[in-house]
Amino acid sequence: MANYLAQFQTIKSSCDRVVIAVEDVSDLWLNVRQSFEQRLPVKKACLNNKARNPVFVENLPAEFIQTTDSRLRSRFPQEQYLFWFREPYATVVLVTCEDLDEFKTILKPRLKLIVQNDEREWFIVFVSKAHPGNDQATKMAKKVYARLETDFNTKRRERCCKFDLHGTDADFWDDFDSKMVDCIRNTLDRRVQFYEEENRKLSEQRFTPIWNFCNFFILKESLAFMFEVTNLHEDSLREYDELELCYSESVNLPGKHREFGGLDTGDDQAALLNPGFKALTQIIQDDVFREFEFRQYIFACQAKLLFKLSRPVEVAARGYAFVVGFSKTLALHENALPFCFREVWVITACLGLIKSTSAQYDNGIVAIDSEKEFHRLQGDLYSLCRVKFMRLAYLIGYGVEIEKSPVNSASLSMLSWPKPATWPSIPPDSSAEIMTKEKITLQAKPREKLFNIQRKPLPLEPSFLLREANRRRAFLSVGNMSELYDSVDGSGLDAHSKLPSNKSSSNLMIRTMSGPATSETSLPVDRPMRLSEIHVAAEHALKQTISDPDFMTSLSSPEEFENRYMELTKGAADNYHRSWWKRHGVVLDGEIAAIFFKHGNYDLAAKSYEKVCALYSAEGWEELLADVLPDLAECQKILNDEAGYLASCVKLLSLESSLFSSKERQAFQSEVVRLAHSEMKHPVPLDVSSLITFAGNPAPPLELCDGDPGTLSVAVWSGFPDDIALESLSLRLSASSSADEGLKAIKSSDARVLVPGRNIITFAIPPQKPGSYVLGALTGQIGKLSFRSHGFSQDGPVDTDEFMSFEKPTRPVLKVRKPRALVDITPAVSSALLMNELQWIGLIVKPIDYSLKGGILHIDAGAELKIEESQMIEIESYRSNGEQSGPTDASKALSSSSEPGRVEKVPIENGKIKLPDWASDVTTLVWFPVRAIDDTIARGTSPASPLKHSIVDGMRMIALKLEFGAFHNQVFERTIAVHFTNPFHVSTRVVDKCNDGTLLLQVILHSEVKATLHVKDVSLDLQAGFEHLGNGDGRPTSSLFPLVIAPSSRAGILFVIRLSGTKDLDELENSDSMMTIKYGISGDRTTGAHSPVPVKPDDSEELLFKISLKLKRPVLDPCLAVGFLPFSTDCLRVGQLVNMKWRVERLKDLDEASLPDDEILYQVDANPQNWMVAGRKCGHISFSKAQGSRIEIAVTCVPLVSGYVHPPQLGLPDVGEANVSCNPAGPHLVCVLPPTLSTSYCIPA
Amino acid sequence: MIVCVAVVGHQNNPLYLQSFTEADDALKLHHVVHCSLDVIDERVNNPKRNAPTLNETFLGLLYPTENYKVYGYLTNTKVKFLMVTTDLDVKDADARNFFRKFHAAYVDAVSNPFHVPGKKIASRSFGARVSTIVKSFGSGTTV
Repeated sequence: MANYLAQFQTIKSSCDRVVIAVEDVSDLWLNVRQSFEQRLPVKKACLNNKARNPVFVENLPAEFIQTTDSRLRSRFPQEQYLFWFREPYATVVLVTCEDLDEFKTILKPRLKLIVQNDEREWFIVFVSKAHPGNDQATKMAKKVYARLETDFNTKRRERCCKFDLHGTDADFWDDFDSKMVDCIRNTLDRRVQFYEEENRKLSEQRFTPIWNFCNFFILKESLAFMFEVTNLHEDSLREYDELELCYSESVNLPGKHREFGGLDTGDDQAALLNPGFKALTQIIQDDVFREFEFRQYIFACQAKLLFKLSRPVEVAARGYAFVVGFSKTLALHENALPFCFREVWVITACLGLIKSTSAQYDNGIVAIDSEKEFHRLQGDLYSLCRVKFMRLAYLIGYGVEIEKSPVNSASLSMLSWPKPATWPSIPPDSSAEIMTKEKITLQAKPREKLFNIQRKPLPLEPSFLLREANRRRAFLSVGNMSELYDSVDGSGLDAHSKLPSNKSSSNLMIRTMSGPATSETSLPVDRPMRLSEIHVAAEHALKQTISDPDFMTSLSSPEEFENRYMELTKGAADNYHRSWWKRHGVVLDGEIAAIFFKHGNYDLAAKSYEKVCALYSAEGWEELLADVLPDLAECQKILNDEAGYLASCVKLLSLESSLFSSKERQAFQSEVVRLAHSEMKHPVPLDVSSLITFAGNPAPPLELCDGDPGTLSVAVWSGFPDDIALESLSLRLSASSSADEGLKAIKSSDARVLVPGRNIITFAIPPQKPGSYVLGALTGQIGKLSFRSHGFSQDGPVDTDEFMSFEKPTRPVLKVRKPRALVDITPAVSSALLMNELQWIGLIVKPIDYSLKGGILHIDAGAELKIEESQMIEIESYRSNGEQSGPTDASKALSSSSEPGRVEKVPIENGKIKLPDWASDVTTLVWFPVRAIDDTIARGTSPASPLKHSIVDGMRMIALKLEFGAFHNQVFERTIAVHFTNPFHVSTRVVDKCNDGTLLLQVILHSEVKATLHVKDVSLDLQAGFEHLGNGDGRPTSSLFPLVIAPSSRAGILFVIRLSGTKDLDELENSDSMMTIKYGISGDRTTGAHSPVPVKPDDSEELLFKISLKLKRPVLDPCLAVGFLPFSTDCLRVGQLVNMKWRVERLKDLDEASLPDDEILYQVDANPQNWMVAGRKCGHISFSKAQGSRIEIAVTCVPLVSGYVHPPQLGLPDVGEANVSCNPAGPHLVCVLPPTLSTSYCIPA
Repeated sequence: MIVCVAVVGHQNNPLYLQSFTEADDALKLHHVVHCSLDVIDERVNNPKRNAPTLNETFLGLLYPTENYKVYGYLTNTKVKFLMVTTDLDVKDADARNFFRKFHAAYVDAVSNPFHVPGKKIASRSFGARVSTIVKSFGSGTTV
């Protein structure tokens, strides 16, 4: 059956559409052909797939072929079955007939004959030639067609349709299409069934010796091809997948040795997408295909179908897997294949896949996920290609051009060397090339990194190429090799299986190997090859392997290599960037940057390096960062990007210290310092958060009172390897409650040099608003460079995982309390002090948990209060009653016992007192002498002039201001009131009036103070109008004194006085009596009044108090009493006589000369309009001088008007008014009735 | 042979990375581990496509390259364990078992009260334990 393979291929290539046979019974084809072929391809068809599910297929390609055509004739039945897929899927029987008889006799039997073949799916198209105008013909045609229908239609299926040649019947075409599709579907179903059956049969024989893969392949592919032709691509693909699976199973079966393939010219170029690359007949051997070609063929078929299904993503995915898998397969056969065949094949395969998939890929219509996936796959293909390309380049000596980066090392150093049967040997006449290569190797020197960073370059080779190549040369025995290398580095040959342990030794080895050899090029053949020779040999071998001249060009020179390398790297990076695999993309950007760097394209290089660094630093991959960052720094340095360069240096410094040697770190620092002190055009702010970190004390936060400054010590960790001098260092605090950072920076005054590691810096904190504060930022200056750090370290040294350390510490370092009373000043005296005397005023100064150290007390007494500045102020410690009685702890008790009642005298200047230091924390009592000045003379009181004294009179206000705190920033102000008073309050009263005019005047001294008063002497200087009785001078008996008056008690002193006669009333009114009291006082100043402060030492203790007393002469001194006697009648009437009677009584003897001896002049006053006085209005009456003598005076009056009127008054003109008393007093008004009506006066009307 | 094991934190920061190659080329393994995070990210961020493995800590083979393989493991706290091996035929069960032991060792290490979560693991005993696990890998000793 394998013989049919060639035929099968030919048929397959010639047959690419569904064939529909046309049985032209009535020679109509030429008439209808055009309109029939216009229906093709079949727009829509519903076919059944392999699982018998309906599938809608569009644009099914089809072709009408007449049965008489040579293509359909002359086929052997066996062939027909084998290649059934190419047989017609439907047969259209074209007939026409205009006569019923003719139909019956000729056409019908003929048709029957045609359709009796069951194998064929057929339907009849009756073509009516009748012109629409020709009714007869039309009718006839209809009749015949009806007959045709009855004969050939069955109940289950209609097989006839009628086509009007002259009419356009849209229904016909639908009918035609559906019948055609029905036929195709049925045929397809039947054929699928057939092929499946055949396949099943063959599969059953799979493990029998007669099984032949080729047959299976033809059947399977026939089915697949049939599906493909009918646009059932999914099914076709599945067939190929099964075929592939079956092949891999069969090819891996142990048994006879099969050829692998891949030895033809051009095989190195992968034919992954070209199924027709090689004819299948060429690759068959013993009924089995060669693996190399066949696997590619299957993949190409699959890829073709996938592209037809618009699934380029899947092509890429399958392609990548295929390339990787097939590369392994190639490795198994590597010793039979040309040198580096595998690498070359992979490169071409990847490039081919990339090219075709990206051409087919329409990124507009796919979902985002598959887009990302697609780009990821493209990236994978590119990077796989890139790796293999680098490997080839390395082999031919471009290794020096390849950056020894982690990515390259990871891909190359774990990738084994090609394993040819024998390593290619040096071609003849290649000494010039060897020289050139050698030169390149010798000239190449590792790039010196900035800061003199010395790193061992990462390996790009799995083991030394030199060893590997020499080992694989057939004529060198292993023993020789071993000896050879033992003599060089002593590591022995077993090192070849390990990774190189020391690169520097390998360099040394290469030198020693290649050095002397230059002069000995004509060594015997079994001399181990030198490296340059290996390169040349590899290059020559590659030239043999690679058939694509383009490809070879890209390896022809380092420049070409670099171009291709760049192209591949860029392709990979770009695609990775568009996929999920950002890291891959960024890392490859770094490789691109390295090339840019090499070519002096520093700008682009820096940009790419920045991306790489950002990636590594964001995720904390410091080892990788340490590898790239110096490169970035170098770019920035060259580009004069000072800001970037500084940032990079700082970053380098802040990396884990183990990543760089101390020398390198010192170089970084000196670079930073150099830049900071240089003339920078635009000084840049620098974030050193990762380098300089800081933390507050682990102790509880510093607590300050509102308005107080303080000092805060902060631990600052410097990550610099050496001491670093700072111009300034400031700290910002931020309130923990709000995000407001508007606080002023606090400068540190000390420590301008940060030593490596921990530094304790103290900051003087000016007064802050109340609240709690956390550390905000540390700013400072290095040279002209201002830096800023947000890095908080907990308690340990510099925190390197910086992305973690940006958590703000929540622990406050400073708490400023809300304003509160820090001190209290209260007056110590509870009762009044002596007015006009120098008195101590005590102030209790009580600090409330706050030191008053250095406090200054300003005392501002008002105008009426004078502080005696000549006196010293006394300050003593004070313990209140509560403190004394309450339980005191031991220390307090100790301190109180050690300083019992300490007293210190301090001067007062301009009302300011400096508090002594010992008084800063204890409650003290400050005594200062004042004198309240009251110029007014105290007045005594008497019942006639009661006390009009106000308490305000004795009040004096003292304004106090205490400045304290470290900077006298705290101020306490208070105004206190002190009450001053006179020592006594004096009141007088007349105790008794004696008949002889003597008055007993009692003077009562009320003590006004809470102190004992000793009255030593009292003298009363009486005012005019009074005089002391007897010959006394107004002093009480001296034996009375000293009179002691207890606090709040009183004492009385009696004076016997009498009125002295005087007529000058004014004088009497204005003059006061003056009482002078000499007294002493013994009181406690803590309680109140006390003996005045002696200004001079010889001041006597005796005090003088003067008080004026107003004595009033008695207002009345009646000698005569005038009484009004009641009227005799009940009521007064106008015109009626009434007797007014007054009784005059002598009350006492009048010894004054002004009064007549026995006669008194009297006079009646009456309003003449109201009263008529009958009789004498005035006259003398004689009146006995004896006391108690009485006389009555009667006057007759007539009231003249009615109403209430003043009655007449009796006056005694000779006697002073004061000497007359009215007793009983007369009425003020009397009621006078109108006169009684008298008829005699009536006048009749 | 396992050439490298790594623990990577939930912010993709390396917590522990130990290479077992004799050469001084750990940096390339850093690179391999770092780039493998792309694959983990992709799997974690596209749970739809990997619905059945959603609750699975073992991520399986991340990175099938020609010469080495990277296996991954993701804990509930998004800590990733990675293992780079040059063994090209590793049984999934072996890898699973390895990660299970590795995870247990990690849990013990971070349970140390002196360990700051999120910081690199500096514990020497952890390192020793990991080395033992690595050495026993593939030797058929299943615990």
